[in-house]
Amino acid sequence: MPDRTRPWTVTWTQHELLEQMPFNVAVIDRDYNVVEANSAFEESFGSWKGHKCFEVYKGLRKPCPNCEIMATFTDGVVRVTDEVGTDQHGHTAHYVVHSSPLHTKPGGSVDYVLEMSRNVVDTDRWQREYQILFDRVPCYIAIIDRDFRIIRSNAAFRDQFGDDAGRHCYEVYKKRKRKCPHCPAAKSFKDGATHKSNQVGINKSGERTHYVVTTAPLTRRGQRPEHIIEISTDVTELKKLEDEKIEAERLAAVGQTVAGLAHSVKNILMGLEGGKYIVGLGLQKEDKAMISQGWDILERNFDKTTSLVKDFLSFAKGRLPRVRMVDPNELVTEIVDLYREVARRSHIDLQAEITPGMKPAPLDPNGLHTCLTNLVSNSLDACQMSEQRNCRVVVRCKSEKGNVIFEVQDNGLGMDYELKSKIFTTFFTTKGGEGTGLGLLTTRKIGQGHGGKITIRTKKGEGSRFRITLPRKRLMALLTMAKEAA
Amino acid sequence: MSAQHAPRVLIIDDEPDVSVYLTTILSQHGYEVETASSSEAAWACLSQSTPQLVCLDIMMPRESGFSLYTRMKADARLRSIPVLIISGVAQAKDFDFREYVSDKAIPPPAGYFEKPIDVALFIETITSLAAELSARTGDVHA
Repeated sequence: MPDRTRPWTVTWTQHELLEQMPFNVAVIDRDYNVVEANSAFEESFGSWKGHKCFEVYKGLRKPCPNCEIMATFTDGVVRVTDEVGTDQHGHTAHYVVHSSPLHTKPGGSVDYVLEMSRNVVDTDRWQREYQILFDRVPCYIAIIDRDFRIIRSNAAFRDQFGDDAGRHCYEVYKKRKRKCPHCPAAKSFKDGATHKSNQVGINKSGERTHYVVTTAPLTRRGQRPEHIIEISTDVTELKKLEDEKIEAERLAAVGQTVAGLAHSVKNILMGLEGGKYIVGLGLQKEDKAMISQGWDILERNFDKTTSLVKDFLSFAKGRLPRVRMVDPNELVTEIVDLYREVARRSHIDLQAEITPGMKPAPLDPNGLHTCLTNLVSNSLDACQMSEQRNCRVVVRCKSEKGNVIFEVQDNGLGMDYELKSKIFTTFFTTKGGEGTGLGLLTTRKIGQGHGGKITIRTKKGEGSRFRITLPRKRLMALLTMAKEAA
Repeated sequence: MSAQHAPRVLIIDDEPDVSVYLTTILSQHGYEVETASSSEAAWACLSQSTPQLVCLDIMMPRESGFSLYTRMKADARLRSIPVLIISGVAQAKDFDFREYVSDKAIPPPAGYFEKPIDVALFIETITSLAAELSARTGDVHA
């Protein structure tokens, strides 16, 4: 014989307690009647007084099949269930219900069931939206743990790099067996900051994939990161287009260069023909002075051939800069030592202005040597051709705004606007027969190969300053590429 | 050819060896020769005296031969001087003056010689131009 259920009574304190709860609360009796509910419940499901729970929750006329409340009445066990109902506006409501038995007598039967529910429609929607975003965002996303194992990834990532379940990121991204050098995720684990870098991976078909990866710690600020999120943008197509553009420019430059080369060769041939003609005429006339004049022309043009071939080969070298850590001060000192005697003979004051303590930088020492040699040689020529009495050439290096800077400055001839606009043209020279017109072009090419640029400040009659600006960031990228290639 | 009647030729080329070569050839054939190593220097010569013929290089620093040629043809005093272009910019058979100077008001040059020149053809052309000039002016050069 079950205990007689005590009528539901609520004190003022209990009522206030129910009201303060941050979710829907309702009390149900054995006949499915809602005997008590807080305002939150009423706001969600509308009027409840005099209604059965199945009417209020789901708008039904009879109890729900497999009613969880009745199960709790029977066995007195707390239950947590996912339910779908209808709110007071007739909208579908997803909610989680926590059902607890209430006893009016200690050790007695379950007289009422306390139902605490929370609407999870928004949470559920957010989760679905987040999942869609995670999978469909046009970039590869992977989350890795401190062991560099991928614990989660999006569909785009798996489509590109293949199955990643529990595998190390370096195996999946690059099909490597060891961690990558200069790993941005390792940096994020170490300093808790965001890092970005250009990478080349291998996709599941074995093709190279160029991507820009940003790594960020998945943690609150100040806490040790346990996971890193890696978001990568695929730039393979962009890289392909860039390579095609570079190739097209290279072919155009080859055409221009060949035309320029042919022009230079014709001039040399003309000189050789001239020398031969004058020597022949001298022999015919037995005129030693004429023979000597012709011979000089022949000699000069043979020398020009040598210079042209040497400069052309230097210009035509298409390799990437072979960078290694180099002290810029040492380079400058080396160049000044090399030209000291030549400058002294021409009464030109050649000086090195170095920056003590300047950090070494990844540079191709041979390439930079060629650049500085060309610039110093030009400056010495500009001084010799000028009417300036106290000619001075300064070679300097310094650090400025994250750049490594080399400068060659002279107070020689200087240039006007028209001349300045022509100096980077293939085979353009102001030195008549003495120059091949390839020096500055080669210098610019090497500078650009280092990710830098060459700028000129010049004024006719006052001198010129050539500046090679090399951003350290790009130099570091070259070093990374060189190490990876090795 | 008498010295006082020798036609005067101005050679404009920034390559000294080319100037020496052309000077030697022309002197051997009785021409009086003056040289200029740039367009600016040539303009200075032209402003002081008027040669009967000009041999002009194209690729020169600062001002190109085509620019100087255009200036000459725009000048009433210099317009009629025959100009032979001697350059390596194009092969003789492919040379098209309009590729370089599109202004139709500027007439094409009297001739184009590709470096290195064919000496016999060069002398033949110069002689022929000089003869035309003398026929026009009634002067006797050769």
